Order: sequence, then structure tokens, then C-alpha cells
Amino acid sequence: MRSSLLFCFSVWIAVFSHGQDSSVQMENTGAIRIMQLRRDGPTRVRYPDALPSLLELMNERSLANFDPDPLFIESLADERLFEHPVLYVNCDELPNFDFSSEENEALRRYMTLGGFVYLDAGIKASFLGTDLGHSYAAWEERAEVRQWFEQLFPDQPFTPLPRNHEIFRTFYKGLPGNEYLRLEEDQKRLPDTVLTFVEQEKWPQGTYSMVGIKVNDRLACVASPICAMGWGRDEFGAWIPPISFRVRESAEDFDETLQVASFAGQTYEVTREDGLKDEIYLVPGNRPLWVKEPTGRWRIFKYYSGEEISNYAHSFYARLGMNVFLYALLN
Amino acid sequence: MMGARVMPLVFAMGLSKLVYSQDVISPVSIEGNQTDNNQTEVTLPAMRSSIDNTLNQASQKLKSSKVEERVGAAKLLGKYANAQVSLLLIGALDDSSELVRRAVMVSLVEHFNNGAPIYEQALVEKIFSKIGDPDVEVRRETSALIPRLIPGLMRSGMERIQVNGRSILRSVPGKLRQDLQDLANQALIDPDSIVRQNVLKHHFSLRFQMESQTFVRLLGDKDVSVLLVALDQARMYAAQSGTYDQMEALTKHSDVGVRAKLARTVLSLGRSFPQYRKILRILTNDPVDEVATLSAVDLARLGERVSNQMIDRIIAYLSKAKGLFGKAESLFYSLSALGSDAKRIYTALLEHPSASMRSQAWVRHLTLSEGWKNASSWRYALQDRDIKVRKAVLSLLRGRVEQINRNDLTNLIKSRHVEVRSFASELLLVAEKEVVKECFFDLLIDEDSLVRSTTLRALAKIQADGWVDLHARSLKDKDYAIQRAAMDGLLGDHKVGLPALLKYLRQYPAERISALARRELQQMGINP
Repeated sequence: MRSSLLFCFSVWIAVFSHGQDSSVQMENTGAIRIMQLRRDGPTRVRYPDALPSLLELMNERSLANFDPDPLFIESLADERLFEHPVLYVNCDELPNFDFSSEENEALRRYMTLGGFVYLDAGIKASFLGTDLGHSYAAWEERAEVRQWFEQLFPDQPFTPLPRNHEIFRTFYKGLPGNEYLRLEEDQKRLPDTVLTFVEQEKWPQGTYSMVGIKVNDRLACVASPICAMGWGRDEFGAWIPPISFRVRESAEDFDETLQVASFAGQTYEVTREDGLKDEIYLVPGNRPLWVKEPTGRWRIFKYYSGEEISNYAHSFYARLGMNVFLYALLN
Repeated sequence: MMGARVMPLVFAMGLSKLVYSQDVISPVSIEGNQTDNNQTEVTLPAMRSSIDNTLNQASQKLKSSKVEERVGAAKLLGKYANAQVSLLLIGALDDSSELVRRAVMVSLVEHFNNGAPIYEQALVEKIFSKIGDPDVEVRRETSALIPRLIPGLMRSGMERIQVNGRSILRSVPGKLRQDLQDLANQALIDPDSIVRQNVLKHHFSLRFQMESQTFVRLLGDKDVSVLLVALDQARMYAAQSGTYDQMEALTKHSDVGVRAKLARTVLSLGRSFPQYRKILRILTNDPVDEVATLSAVDLARLGERVSNQMIDRIIAYLSKAKGLFGKAESLFYSLSALGSDAKRIYTALLEHPSASMRSQAWVRHLTLSEGWKNASSWRYALQDRDIKVRKAVLSLLRGRVEQINRNDLTNLIKSRHVEVRSFASELLLVAEKEVVKECFFDLLIDEDSLVRSTTLRALAKIQADGWVDLHARSLKDKDYAIQRAAMDGLLGDHKVGLPALLKYLRQYPAERISALARRELQQMGINP
């Protein structure tokens, strides 16, 4: 089994070359099938078209050859786990994080033998609760994921991936431009404040908040906030479903105004990328209102929706998803 | 004037009632970035001002001479969703700074999203008028808000008229004000494609019809998204001059998605406007297989015959498809329109690399050929490497297979797949007595309890020789599923089954299955 996995990886490494504009070279070795863990239980499949759409997109945009039909497995003890190199898990679609010792052992062996696990929605702010329609990027895995993987690799905690990690530029580099978005050159990509925030803080150089676990010096598992919401396309190529942006905005007097502005909710302390803490103001169950940053600056959360926002978000997530899956095969 | 009309409503709602956010999950996904984690509740800072103070200060700042202050106030007011605050924001919609107008529009959208929609017609009309704002961001926000504005914009009313000297009231349907309709018409040719797309998408709900040349222009829009929306609206303008010609011109569009959408649109139009079928015929010569084949199948749906050559092309296209997704899926599920002509396609797809394609091909193939009548038709499907295929075929076969010969049954029994062996057990019901006699033992000693229990149930049903003894012995099996199957079998036969079960209960009153058996017997009126 070990030899077969290693053989597969050597083939994949041989067939891909990376770089934004370079064509990926691939031998006709048959389609690569991505596995998806989908357990029985009281859960809602929110983005059923996401992974197939992304796999199809990868086939369109690169010379990679993915089977757009994911192989669904219900249990990690499924013997087919060891026949395919990448396991995708949408943590929001798991009814719970209860795995038998047999399953955990299988996953540990899988990762040790070269398998790659992508935990989508493996990062999720707890104050979002069960609301699957929101994401809030963080730099730490969700508590359930941490407890799960502590059983597998007690000495290997998740660590944040740096912004310059290769995973963010495996195939695409940077943020989508007008040409990629199929916009005329003179068309406005995003509202000014949104574009500035996206480029400087939200997704600088096309990066995102991700944490990972290394096994034998190889990145064997990554967790990210939910990305699948950005992968779906309908049969004519239009993105589905719509996505909105949450943007931090400032104003000249917010430092004074927001300190005393009327507020009837709760505050939550959250850890940032730099390890410092933000203080988020929100009414539980609703969208965050504003934030006091550790520098003492106050900023307000504004929400933007519309075709251009949604198309941009989808393009970013699709590019990011491609980078992750192609990285998984290359490494 | 406008303000005076709505102020009583504002005060009636009260100033202290704050709604921060809607109670339901937004239909759109919200993406946010920036840090979080280790969320722990902390105590609120003291000394916050009252809602009245906050709103008063913000409303003062909204009149400030400094743009930054006005922007900040507009952003803050978005967090207090109520009618009074909405009114303040609407009052700032004509601010000289586009930064303020943008902030105001975003905050108004926040109000709509957070449970404070505006229905007052005059106010909604004021918001809608920003569709003609010089700033593109304001126009975009306004156009995206149209679906939320429509209830207010389209409010119907009453008017008093004189009929034969009598004064009567009659209803007046909601209608977009003429000047606003002019703005909307102008927005349909806005330089920004997002604005064009949004207004085009919702213009029907705004209850106005654009001029045919405007629609034709949109059908030729350089932005694909606008074009796709225009195709969605084509039915309303199908009979107008120029529409057909422009749609025919789209058969040469460089984007495959547009041509595929054209095919789908024309299928719908072809039912009401037969001349549009010509476009489908043109598309059958499209260089891209998926467009050509989709068009051919659409023509078949309209009653036209598909040539053998085209069927070959459909086979070629679906054989190359990676799986049953997207256009391949649409095409596949449309094949039923071909009737028996589709047989050849399904047969060709039985060896497709995609499991989803194979499974559906097998199901369609067996359905069209009534393949369940002959085991040679479905035998290979049950040897498929993918459980999805086997399960799909088994679902079709169950209850339909009427006979099975020795060889076929033996082959099924030898299968390495549990569900196939279990199916073999079920087929004992339709096998000849001699065949059952020869084969049932192999199934009874199967390693899987599902196969064994199914076999027991089948043997009870057909009352094979020695079944009572077999079931009585099976009551002692360690596997509860086997015990249960044995019990059910014996319960079903009053003459010999029940006495055997009663005998067992007398001998083994404390066994796991005994309690259930007693309950079942009591329900049948037998007191063991």
C-alpha cells in the first residue's frame, strides 16, 4: 500500500509543472480522483456542486486531469482511502467530529504515507455558531479540529502558514485582475474601499488564513475558512451562489465615536495573525458591528454585495482552491 | 414635504427600538477576513451613550462641513436600522461628496438587510433615483438594491373618479414614475456592466418594457454576464423586430457558455415561436460538441428526429465527458427525448470511466430494453468496480427479475460484493426448486450476515424443503439479525412455523430473541 501511494505521488510530481502562465504538462495516466468525506447524519450539504465544479475548472484552466466526480467515502476506515492521494473534508458538513480509533489510525497512516487532507471550514470563529452562511477568517483551527488531530499527532499542532507559503502561488499568483474576471479594462473591479481592503488586508497577494500540519517534514494537512462557497458554477459558467464581503472601514472620528456609541450586544476577544487581540462587538447570532483593534484603532464592519463582489470572491476562492489541490499533488 | 409625510411613522415606531440585524440567515454567504479565535466573552466597557445621543450626534455630523465626518456618520448610522435613521440617511443621498453618497447607500442596504425595509413610496423613489447618480459605485449599489425597493416602488393605490355622476373608488396599479422610468431606461445602457446587468435582470419587476432596439443592443452586449441575463429575458421580446436576427447572430458568439445558453433559451422559445427552431438547427453544426449535441436533443424535444450522425456525435461527446456534471449532465438527462434512438447512446456509455455516468447509463439501458428479463443484460453491471453502479442497477432489478437460471445464480453467489450476494439470496424467490436446492447452502454459509438473513427470509417465503428445521436451528444463531430473520419466517406460517417457534420459546425462554418473539405472538393473539 505504501509503495502504491509513493508511486502515485512520483507520477504526479513528474506530470505537473507550476507557474501561473506555464502549461501544466501531464502524461495520460488517467484522471486523478479526489476523495470527499461525507458522513451520514443530521447535516446539510450546503454546496453540493462546489467540489465537482472546482475539479472541472482545474481541468479547463490547466492540463491537469481530475475526475470531476469526487469519490465519496463515509468512513475514514474505508479501504479506498489509500488508493487516492487527496482527501477533502468540508468540516461544516460533518454531523460531528466523532471518529473511531480505527478511523483515526487509518487517517494517521494515510497522512504518514503521503496522503494530503484539506479541511475546508477547518477554521471557523466560534461566535458564528451554526451559521454556515458566514465565515470569519482566523489563524487557528477550530476547536473540534484541534481535538480531533491531537489524537492523531499529539506532538504536531497546527501552525499558521506564512503569507509567502508556496501553497498560495502553486498555480495562480496574486489576486484576479480585470482580464481574469472577464471585465473590460475600464470597468471598476470593486468599490474603492473594498479593493483597498482586499489588496492590503483581506487577501494580500492572493493569500488567505490557513493553518497546517507537517508530517515527516511534508505539509500533510491544511485547514482554511470555508472556501467551497466560492467554487460552484452553473452549467453556463456563471458563479453560484452569491457571496458578500465583510470589510473593515475607518473614519476620522471613529476612535472617539465608536467607544461611546450606543451598543447592546457582547464583545469577543479574538486572536489576530500577529498574535494580538481584536475586540469584536456584535449581537450574538448577527453580523459583527465594529472592532477595537489592539493598536487602539476602532473600525466598523461594512457589508458589500453585488455581482462584482460575488464574481471577485468566487474567482479568488476558485484560484485558491486550485492552488491547494495542485499543491497537494506536487508535494 | 416628503420628510413631513413620514415623520409621524418614524415617531410611531419609537426611537428606542433598535434592530441590529435580521433574525434569519442571509441567503448570501458572507465572507470576512481578519483574525479571530479564542473567543472569550469580556465585560462591556462602561459609559456608552444612549441611543438618542448617538443618533443625535451622528445626525449633526451628517451635516458637517467636513467630508470625513459626514462619511463616518453615514457609516455609523448603518448600524442602527430603524425608520428614523433610514430617513436621516436618505436625506444625505444628494450629498455633494460621492464618498458620503457611497457610505449612505451601503448603510441603507444594511438597513434593508437587517430587518428595516423601507416601504414609503416617496422614500423608496428617492433611493431609486440614485440609479442616475454620477458615481458608478452609487449606481451599482442602487441597482443591486432594486429587488428590495420594488415593494415600495410598485405600491398600488386608490383613486376617486366620477362615473355617471356618481363618485366611486377604484384601484390604481403600482407603476414606476415616468422620470424614474427614464432613468431606468438610461441605466440599461449604462457604461458600467454591473448596472446594466442588474437593471436588465429586474426591469420586468419594475413593470416597464424597454424599446426593442435597447434589448437588441443588450443581446449584443460585450459583457457576457449581461448577455446571459438578456437571454433570460428574451421571451418578452421574442416577437419584436431585431430580436431574432440578433439571437441568430449569437450562434457565432465566441463564448461556449453563451451558445449553450442560447440553445437552452431557444428551446423554450421554439415552443411558442416556431421560427426560433432554425437557430437550434444552426447550432447543431456548432464546432463544439456540447453545444451541437444539446441543440440536437433540444430539437428532438420539440419533435424533430435526430440523425444517426448526430447520435454518433452525442456518443463521442458523452464518452469524452469526465463525469455526469454540468452540460454533460443536462444533455444526458435530455436524452429521453430521443426515445428508442437513445438506446445506442446508453449502450455505448456502459463502459464509461465515470461511475456516475456508468450507473445512469446502465439504468437507462436496462429500462429501455427491459433488460431485467434477461440476466445476460445486467450480469456485467453487477460486476462493476464501483458500488454506486452496482447499487443503482440493483435498485432497478429488485422486484422486476422474474426468473434466474443455475449458472447466473451461481455467478452471483460467487460475487465478492455483499450487495450482489444478498441480491442472489433474494432471487431464490424466483429460481426453480432444483436450483434453490443446489444453491441455498452456499448462501447460508456466507460470511456476511445480511446475505444469510436474506437467504433465510427467502427460504421461508418459498417454503423450501426443510425450511422449518433450518429456521428453528437458526434461532440459536449468535447473530441477532439471523435470529430475527428466523423468527419472522416462523411467525409467517401458522401451520408448522408457529409450533416450532413456541417450542423454542419453551426451551429457551431467556434468550435475546425470545422476548421479541413473545411480544410478536401476543400481538397475533397467541399467548406463549
